[in-house]
Amino acid sequence: MTEASARFHRSVAEALADPHLRQALDRTTGRLAGGLAKAFATIPDAGALRDTARRIRAHTIAHLDQHLDQFERAATARGCHVHWAPTAADATRLVVDIARARGVSLAVKSKSMVTEEIELNAALGAAGVRVVESDLGEFVVQLADDRPSHIIAPIVHMSRDDVARLFEDKLGARPDEVADIPAITAFARRTLRQEFLQAGMGISGVNLAVADTGSLCLVTNEGNGRLTTTLPRVHVAVMGLERIVPTAADLGVVLQLLARSATGQALSVYTNIITGPRRPATSDGPGEPDGPDELHIVVVDNGRSRLLGGELAEILYCVRCGACLNICPVYHHIGGHAYGGVYPGPVGSVVSPGLMGLDEWSELPHASSLCGACRDVCPVRIDLPRLLLNLRAQTVAARMGPAWLRIAMPLYAAIATRPVLYRWLGSLAARLSRMMGHDGWLDRLPGPLSAWTTERDFPVPAPRSFVQEHHAHAPRAGGCE
Amino acid sequence: MSAAARAQIFDSIRRGLVRAVLPDAAGSRPTPEGRSSPPSASADALEAFTRALTALTGRVHRAAAVDMVPDLVAAIAHEHGARGFLAWDESHLGVPGLFAALASRGLERVDYDLPFDAASREAHALALAGVGVGLTGADAAIADAGAIVLAHGPGRGRLASLLPPAHIAVLSARQIWPTMPDLLAARPGLLDAGSNLVAIAGPSRTADIEMTLTHGVHGPKYLHVIVVP
Ligand code: SF4
Repeated sequence: MTEASARFHRSVAEALADPHLRQALDRTTGRLAGGLAKAFATIPDAGALRDTARRIRAHTIAHLDQHLDQFERAATARGCHVHWAPTAADATRLVVDIARARGVSLAVKSKSMVTEEIELNAALGAAGVRVVESDLGEFVVQLADDRPSHIIAPIVHMSRDDVARLFEDKLGARPDEVADIPAITAFARRTLRQEFLQAGMGISGVNLAVADTGSLCLVTNEGNGRLTTTLPRVHVAVMGLERIVPTAADLGVVLQLLARSATGQALSVYTNIITGPRRPATSDGPGEPDGPDELHIVVVDNGRSRLLGGELAEILYCVRCGACLNICPVYHHIGGHAYGGVYPGPVGSVVSPGLMGLDEWSELPHASSLCGACRDVCPVRIDLPRLLLNLRAQTVAARMGPAWLRIAMPLYAAIATRPVLYRWLGSLAARLSRMMGHDGWLDRLPGPLSAWTTERDFPVPAPRSFVQEHHAHAPRAGGCE
Repeated sequence: MSAAARAQIFDSIRRGLVRAVLPDAAGSRPTPEGRSSPPSASADALEAFTRALTALTGRVHRAAAVDMVPDLVAAIAHEHGARGFLAWDESHLGVPGLFAALASRGLERVDYDLPFDAASREAHALALAGVGVGLTGADAAIADAGAIVLAHGPGRGRLASLLPPAHIAVLSARQIWPTMPDLLAARPGLLDAGSNLVAIAGPSRTADIEMTLTHGVHGPKYLHVIVVP
C-alpha cells in the first residue's frame, strides 16, 4: 500500500469512528438532498432544462479556446486586467504581485474552491498580507485554526457555545454579546464589517463567467461576496479556465439549476454579476459612486487543459453545485476530509486525480458504489460513474490497486467464464457460508473480504441459486431462454 | 511572462481539444429562449412573487399609487429607527419629489462618491457604516425565486442595497418576470448596463451555526419591496 492510500484509509477510519461527524453529515446531506427534490418539483421543465444546460456546457468546453479568447477581449474592453496562470504557483505569484504593487496589507476573501486549490492564503500570508475569510463559517474556522468539516456547512462540528467561547477568547466579546445565535451573528457582522471597510483588496472565486460581455457571476447567501467585490479598491477574481458560458441567456439557464441543486433554493440570496470595474465619469456624464477601481481576473489552468485531452474531459462541464456530494452514500458516511484535497465527493474523485494525477489519488475512484445517484442528480448530467470506471481501469492498467485484487480479478474472470466450475464453486461457497452463518448473517468474511464485515454483516446466500430456481419454475417448453 | 503564459495555456487547450472525449458536444449551440412574452402585470405574477419573497422573510408592500410611496418609505425607515438613508438618485426611483417628501418627514439622504485614492476611500466608507436604511429602485423581479433585480450604474450605487441593515426597493408591477432564464434571455443588455447587476432573493442569511437560519450576517437583515402599479 502506498503512503497516499494508507493516508486515505486512515482518514476514512477516523471519519467512520467520529459519531459527531456522522450525526452532522446525517443532518446536512439529508436536508440538502430533500431540499433539492422539492426545489425541482416547482419547475415544470426540469428535464429539458438539464438537457439544455448540459449541451451549453458541452458546446462551451468543445470550443473553450474561442470562448476564453472572446471573454478576454470583452473583459479587457471593459477595463479588466486578465492574467493567465498555467500553474498554481503562477496564480499565487500573480496575486501576490498585485497586492505588493499596491501596498495591500489586508485582504478580505469570499470562499472559493479554486483559491483553496492553489493555496492562495498561505502565499499571501508569507508575503505579509493578512487574509480574512468572510463567510461566517470560514471565518470561525480561520479563527479557531481548525479546518472546515463540510463544503457548505464548514462548522457543523461546533456548537453555538464553542463559537461563543471562541469569540470571547479571540475577539474579546462580552458574554452578553454572544448569548445566542443571532447575537453571535451580529457580533461577527460588526467585526467583519470593519475588516471590509479597511481592506485594500477583495479576493473572490467565480461561479461562471460570460464570454460575450466579460462578466463574472458569483453567488452567495450571506452577502460577503458582494462586500468583497464592492468595498475594497482592488478586486481580484480567481477562476478555473472552464468556468465559462457564452452568453447572458446561457447563464440564465445554468442559474435556474445551480442554487436548486446546491441548497434547494430557487436562487441564492445574492446572484452577483460583475462586468468590469467601477465605471468612471466621462464627458457624457457622471461615473459610478462605488465599486472597485481595479478588477483583475486570474484564469487558472493547473492541470485543466491536460484533463481536457482525454476520457475525463466531461468533468469540465461541472458547475460545482455539490449535489453529487449530498446524494452520495459514500460521502454520507465518510464526509469531506477523507477524500483529501479540496474537492470531495464523486466530483472530487474525478477532479483530484484528473488535475493532480493518479499517483496520490488512486484510491478515490474506488470510493464509490457506482450506484449512479450522482449522475441522476447532476444538473448537467455528467456521467460520473463512467468517469470513475475509467479511472479505475487506469489504476489497474498502471498496476496501482492492492496486490490481492490484482490476483483476485483475473482468477474471478477465469472462474466466471467456466459455467460448470462457477456453479460448482458457487454452491460450495453457499453451503460453507450457511454452516458458518448465524440467523442468516455472516459476521466475518475471510481474508481481504473482511473489510466488508468490519462495519456490517453479510447475508448468507439463499439455499438455491437463481439458475436452480429458474429451472424449477420456468415452463419446460416455449419459455424464454 | 503573461503573453507566454497565455500562449502556453491556449496551446495546451487546443492540443487537448483534438483528443477530448466530449459527449453531447456535437451539433449547433443550443439557443436558450425565454418565454418571449413581455413581463406580465398580471395579478398572478405579483401573487407568485409575493408568496416567494414572503417565504424568505422579505416584506412586500403594495402602493395603490406612486404618491403613497413617501409615507410607506418613511414608516418603514422609522420602524428601523433610521434617520439617514443611502439611495439611488431620485430620477432612478420613479417617485417624483421623493427626497423632499422624506426630508419633511425627518429623513435625510446621505450622499456619497467613494474617492479613488485608498486612504480617503477608507475614511469615506467608514463614515457610511452607521446609516440606517438604503433606498433603491428595481429593474425587474423574478416571480419563482422571489428576487428583485438591480442594475447598478451612475447614480445607482451598490452600497444602498448592501451596507445598511434595512433595504427598501421600489418595484414596478409591470416588471415581474416568471424566471431568471426568461429575464436574461429577453434582456441580456442588463449585464452590461453598468458594472454590476444583482438579483436579491430575500435578506442576507446564513445557517452556519448549528444549521439555524439567521438573517443579516453581512447584507441587510430586512428587505422591503414596495410594489407600485
Ligand atoms: S459533478 Fe457534482 S458538483 Fe459538478 S455539476 Fe454535477 S452534481 Fe454538481
